[in-house]
Amino acid sequence: MSTTRAAAVPRSLPHWRWHWQSPGLARPLNWLSVKAGALLLPAALLLLWHTAVTREWVSAQILPPPELVLQTFLDLARSGDLWFELSISLQRVLIGSLLGGLVGLALGLLMGLSRQVEAYLWPLFQAIAQVPVLGWIPLLMMLVGIDEGLKYLVIAKAVLVPMTINTFAGIRNIPASYLEVAQVYRFNLVQRLHRVILPAALPSIFTGVRFALTKGWIALVTVELLASSEGIGYLMVDGRQMFQLDLVIVSMLVIGLVGLLLDKGLALIETRLQRWQRQAF
Amino acid sequence: MSKTDFLTLKGVDKRFAVKDGELSVLENISLNIRQGEFISIVGGSGCGKSTLLRLLVGLEEASAGHLLLDGEPIRGTDPERGIVFQDHRLYPWLSVEDNVLLALANSPLSPAERLDTVHRHLELVGLKNFTRAYPAQLSGGMSQRVAIARGLVNRPKILLLDEPFGALDALTRAQLQEELARIWLAEGITTVLVTHDVDEAVLLGDRVVVMEPRPGRIKRIVEIDPPHPRRREDYRLAELRNDILQDFSQHQASPLLHPQHEQRAFRSYAMAW
Amino acid sequence: MTDLAKRFPFLQRRPDLRGAVVPAGLVLLWWLATALQWVDTKIVASPPAVLDAFWQAAVGGELWHNLGASLQRNLTGFVVGGLIGLAFGTLLGLSRLAERLVGPTFHAAKQIALFAWIPLLSAWFGFGEPAKVAFIALAVFYPVALNSFEGIRATRVELYEVARVLGLSRTQRLFKLVLPSAAPAIFTGLHLGLIYAWLATIGAEYFFSAGPGIGNTMIDGREHFEMDQVLYGLVVVGAVGLLLNRLAAWIETRTLAWRVRPH
Repeated sequence: MSTTRAAAVPRSLPHWRWHWQSPGLARPLNWLSVKAGALLLPAALLLLWHTAVTREWVSAQILPPPELVLQTFLDLARSGDLWFELSISLQRVLIGSLLGGLVGLALGLLMGLSRQVEAYLWPLFQAIAQVPVLGWIPLLMMLVGIDEGLKYLVIAKAVLVPMTINTFAGIRNIPASYLEVAQVYRFNLVQRLHRVILPAALPSIFTGVRFALTKGWIALVTVELLASSEGIGYLMVDGRQMFQLDLVIVSMLVIGLVGLLLDKGLALIETRLQRWQRQAF
Repeated sequence: MSKTDFLTLKGVDKRFAVKDGELSVLENISLNIRQGEFISIVGGSGCGKSTLLRLLVGLEEASAGHLLLDGEPIRGTDPERGIVFQDHRLYPWLSVEDNVLLALANSPLSPAERLDTVHRHLELVGLKNFTRAYPAQLSGGMSQRVAIARGLVNRPKILLLDEPFGALDALTRAQLQEELARIWLAEGITTVLVTHDVDEAVLLGDRVVVMEPRPGRIKRIVEIDPPHPRRREDYRLAELRNDILQDFSQHQASPLLHPQHEQRAFRSYAMAW
Repeated sequence: MTDLAKRFPFLQRRPDLRGAVVPAGLVLLWWLATALQWVDTKIVASPPAVLDAFWQAAVGGELWHNLGASLQRNLTGFVVGGLIGLAFGTLLGLSRLAERLVGPTFHAAKQIALFAWIPLLSAWFGFGEPAKVAFIALAVFYPVALNSFEGIRATRVELYEVARVLGLSRTQRLFKLVLPSAAPAIFTGLHLGLIYAWLATIGAEYFFSAGPGIGNTMIDGREHFEMDQVLYGLVVVGAVGLLLNRLAAWIETRTLAWRVRPH
């Protein structure tokens, strides 16, 4: 019973009312019912889906039965096709993100550190960011063709924007008092970067990384749907063209899962990073 | 004609469920309040004085005991019991006028009568020129005046004030205390004021209920005999104040139990849809 | 750091023009590259050619025809997806039962990248207008539903207590408290929805069947290797996106006038 925990309760409607209102046995029981409630709808949907197909309310062509989707997934996983396509996609995301991430980091740093650079480059950056990735694709196709280069560029563009913005904002939001401390100790630029600016901007930059990778993954799916003969997006197009919707649904689920894992994994690292920071101070 | 037992509390207990058991916030509170009386309740942090007010307004239910208003048991909230909170709690998307009108949302009055009533009450609190302003444009003192108008506009049987001036600067607070005294004298409404400011309690109250913490109990009740309207510098008031302050030096509220503890317990219900 | 503004007096007088220096330089470089035949002008269109293509399309009416078709599609999808999203988010925000039952599925489905729905949508709705509108609506649905849900959940307990004290009915609570207090969040959702809708409009035109539309203009331009057409399409797409964004921001500040800070 400490007051610090009470203080942590946000000033909004209690979300978790059923957790702490009732002491004792009710708690685990409630927890169970919450989890069961969450699974109720998916279970019902699955049942409906299954019944709808087996009773032939909808044709299996339009909606393949869940068993088939599972079977397709297992087949793809066993034959290694899934991992092959996925590894190609992930490789593209990795290269594109490195490219866009480094450029974005540099751009954000430069604009964050110098008001001059900001004055010259920010409007151009905004104009480029304004047009969505999708708008750039036809032009890029004409300039670099539809090979790997296109995918790298599209992903890089998607990654560049959040990286730049978060790095830039991270630096600009450093409290003036931190910089004044650096002034008092007469730090040079390298010292200022190393001791003050980068550590202070790091949380924001990392948020940028997390956000950027999610964006990069979405951009990859888009570009693979439009122009590719390999990768998880292509698997989907292929399934659609042959009207194998089981394949389409498996690809969708894998895409969602990878996106989720990317986001959750990076979020985990982010909290670890922050904990380390708190301990250090 | 004033009844001596207009508002009656009999053996009221209040306990909150907390993680490891129960927390007793109020214990055996008994009190009779006359019609038209101004009662001040003072006490340190954690003495449950705000909880007591929340029981009276109907936002919480007593664990034991009875609360009667005009012979009727208090059950749930009702426009016949008005309240002014420490934070003004105006709806930021409504103008001053609409905020006060909200209190009349279910009144039998016609729309024109409602508007008229609202304007009269805004005039009463000195804000007739700010009817169209939004809360974000008002100072803390002005917002609290609007909250007072909202509390009064229903002509409630009792007006409950939960540290209404606690968040204001000293000058504004003094000014609003005097206006509150003026309004109370003019309207003759039964008023219960909860405060931690002994000066305020003594200046405004006919009687001051002194509470002690953990669990909250009534320590004693002090008659404030100087007649209204009172002057702040009245020697008798200073004497009474010093007398009450003696109580607090005897048992300081320990820092262990913070007001936040009460606030956490207040969140024990959610919106009922 | 050397400052260009010191060398060019006009930049000192108008420091806001500094942002135009780099874009102007790039356009100049592009112009020189095409005019001096550093690049093959059959592949890379020159700035005058792009302007000319734009002018022709504007005068000839194709631009307005295509833009109109895109905007109509955009708006239909926005309205459909926005309404469903608002209703869904409100339900989830008000009812804890609904949240417990539907919430987890909703949050899980959110993970699937928007464009990954296209093959499935095309199988269900075909390649025509219904599929395009369904896709745009889906793009709008998520941000609107999510933000209305979170906005409603953030209703302050303190203000809710006032509603109880004043004896407001359920309907009155909804319209006087819950919806107005969630309005800023709902607007954020609609604003995001508008941006997503435009993105989805272009995407829908790429992926589904050909027809009038600004996205189709760009795709056609690429297929016939007319870069001037692709470039003016690109500029139009960006400009419309910017305008929609500004429009949403303008409506938002207008409608939420109560958020004014004291002077």
